[in-house]
Amino acid sequence: MPSLYLLIPIGLGVVFVAIGVFLWATASGQFDDLDEQSTQLPDDEP
Amino acid sequence: MSASRDWTVYDRPELRAGFATTPGGGGSGGGGSDCEVMLALDGMHCAACAGRATQQLAGQATDIHVNVAAKTARFRFDPKTTRLSALLLALDAAGLDPRILAAESSAKRDQQARRIAFARIGVATICAMQVMMLAWPSYLVADIDAGISQLLRGSQLVLSIPGVLWAGWPIFANAGRAIRSRQLDMDVPVALALFAACAASTVRVLLGSGDLYFDTATMFVWFLTVGRYLEGRSRARASERLRLLAGRRALTAQRRINGPNENQIETIAIGALAVGDEAVVAPGETLPADGVLLEHAAELDEALLSGESRPQLRQPGQTVLAGTLNLGSAPLLLKVERLGASTVLAQITQLLDHAQTGKPKLQQLADRIAGHFIAAVLVLAAIAAALALYRGTGGDQAFAIALAVLVASCPCALSLAVPVALAAATSRLARSGVLVANTGALQSLATIDRVLFDKTGTLTDNRMQRVRVLPLAGGDAEALTAIAATLERGSRHPIASAFADVVTPLQAEALKQVAGPGAGAGISGRIAGQDYWLGALDAAPHPVSLPASFASTVGDTVIVLSDDTRPLALLVIGTRLRTEAAAVVAELQRRGLHLELLSGDAKDAVQAVAQALGIGDCRARQTPAAKLARLQALQADGHRVLAVGDGLNDAPLLAAADVSACMPQGAALTQAKADLLLLGDSLSLLPLALDVARATQARIRENLCWALGYNLLVLPLAMSGTLAPWLAAAGMSLSSLLVVGNALRLERLPSPSQLQSQFQPLASPR
Repeated sequence: MPSLYLLIPIGLGVVFVAIGVFLWATASGQFDDLDEQSTQLPDDEP
Repeated sequence: MSASRDWTVYDRPELRAGFATTPGGGGSGGGGSDCEVMLALDGMHCAACAGRATQQLAGQATDIHVNVAAKTARFRFDPKTTRLSALLLALDAAGLDPRILAAESSAKRDQQARRIAFARIGVATICAMQVMMLAWPSYLVADIDAGISQLLRGSQLVLSIPGVLWAGWPIFANAGRAIRSRQLDMDVPVALALFAACAASTVRVLLGSGDLYFDTATMFVWFLTVGRYLEGRSRARASERLRLLAGRRALTAQRRINGPNENQIETIAIGALAVGDEAVVAPGETLPADGVLLEHAAELDEALLSGESRPQLRQPGQTVLAGTLNLGSAPLLLKVERLGASTVLAQITQLLDHAQTGKPKLQQLADRIAGHFIAAVLVLAAIAAALALYRGTGGDQAFAIALAVLVASCPCALSLAVPVALAAATSRLARSGVLVANTGALQSLATIDRVLFDKTGTLTDNRMQRVRVLPLAGGDAEALTAIAATLERGSRHPIASAFADVVTPLQAEALKQVAGPGAGAGISGRIAGQDYWLGALDAAPHPVSLPASFASTVGDTVIVLSDDTRPLALLVIGTRLRTEAAAVVAELQRRGLHLELLSGDAKDAVQAVAQALGIGDCRARQTPAAKLARLQALQADGHRVLAVGDGLNDAPLLAAADVSACMPQGAALTQAKADLLLLGDSLSLLPLALDVARATQARIRENLCWALGYNLLVLPLAMSGTLAPWLAAAGMSLSSLLVVGNALRLERLPSPSQLQSQFQPLASPR
């Protein structure tokens, strides 16, 4: 049981990291057009 | 062909403001001098073309987004080091047919708003799930370790701050605005409930005892944000056409200056173009202004303006419209007549914009009912809490009841029922080329049972031809035709189009419309010192008897040309039936409508048309006043009437009808006082409009019934305390989602099957 005192705050931290990553992805436009990428040719050039 | 295009004009800094945006500082560290440009790549059809486009741009441009479906490319470049013309030339050489799209500041703003709305949904989702998980132990296990329990409760509080406050911020902001303007808005009870639930829960976390409502609050916010996102998306789709139209504005024009020795062509910004100028439009370019085609015929793409996707051939002397594309292989020359805000393109944009901001009556009613409802809900919540306290149920229980009443009976679904359905219907119709100038008309259209058709220009094709010219008093048929053409030159009557191809140096003076003794009217004027009169047979100043051979010309209109002493010639103007007219008439009759044909033409002509189409009821030789009287008689009998006309010659009829539809021509767009504008110049849009209107009415009725029924059902449950707050939140939100989902079905309504082949999707971006 006492481990929960550590695990719950860690879990909370992970949630906030997830929120941060999601907000970054949205702000950089990754969810703007979900159809576009599927029609893109794979870019083989180095 | 592509070599003739001069791309270097786009390198000019003063023009750049018209199409390039400078992304200010935002994010990914590009230099501040970067310009963002949007191109239409009409030659891009497949993923391979997209790859080629990216290849051409790579190296000189950054942030390249190529969208095959929309045939667009968006990228940034640094004007100091890169010449845009070089990029355009490379794309052109690759066969991608680039075209610069005008800057759309609003699209940028919309995108930002969409991103934030999406982010709020995401945050609400994550927080709601986590809070629920943290709340579960206390529901499942009775004796949790006190310290752990306090940790779990504190964590819920921490997660609810972004989950309710940030994700639900628009709700609080709206409610605040509503309260400040002393109006009750949907968001007031919602914000109140959210605030009360969170405030009480926060106090209880600090006290260390009592039930928490964080799980309910976060879930409620999640439902609300999802509902709003869907609603906003359907509205955005309704304005998509508007954006497409705005992107069609030309940015530059090429003006031809007629010098003494040779003609010069200079490229100027669109603002510098003036009425009367002669503008040259290169192949593949957008026409900068409305005007008259000069010198030679041209092939134009008018798809975005009229929905007609086939190339249109226009003859010299005919009107051509800004925003259409020159599809021919040679430059065309036009004389500018209308510019900027007075072009048809601008007028359509304005009409669409207007239609989307108007609030129909039913919606105003729903809003008013909702306003009263909210006031009642606030009072009822207080009463329920007071009753519970009075019965001695304790403060906690009374608070839960008040919360449940506030949340469960919020009439969100009620206020969504009408606008979402109308937005979906409008966007569905706009996609096929029907402009709804008045949203209220959609509701009237669903209830009509009679249709009054005008003949000329409505059931018959607008492009009329001279079938026959018969000189009565000798003289050359060609010379007489030239006189008639000169008289008709300024006229807007459909008959005038039969003379559009006649070229004559004659000039008419003192032209005026004369109302004759009969139904038809005439035109009088003076040409080369001689007075002439041209008009309907029975209005002629000198009686004419038809030769026997004319008896067979049913379906045509016969007009007379006279001078001041005698009739000179009979002219037979052929009005071909529209190819789709018969199918449309059958479709309308299949939908249970009674059709009637009213026309100012002679009886034979009208009857021939009615027979060919299968319309049982027809009235010939109708003056505008007689048409109006017929309409009013029908309305007095309790019929609800749709009038279909060409929007100009039957304006009183259209204005008096319950619903009116017309196929407006060019400049007449905003003057046509019709509720529905069939842009495709095709009647086949009529059954579709009817279907959409009826479906919309059905959706609205379902939505209103559901929303009202739900609210009335759930209110007693919440007041008696049987409904827990979380259940109330779920029920209320699901009810809203159901209403939105039901309305969105309208967007996928198919075109009537028999007519399908004639519809061309408008939204396909070119």
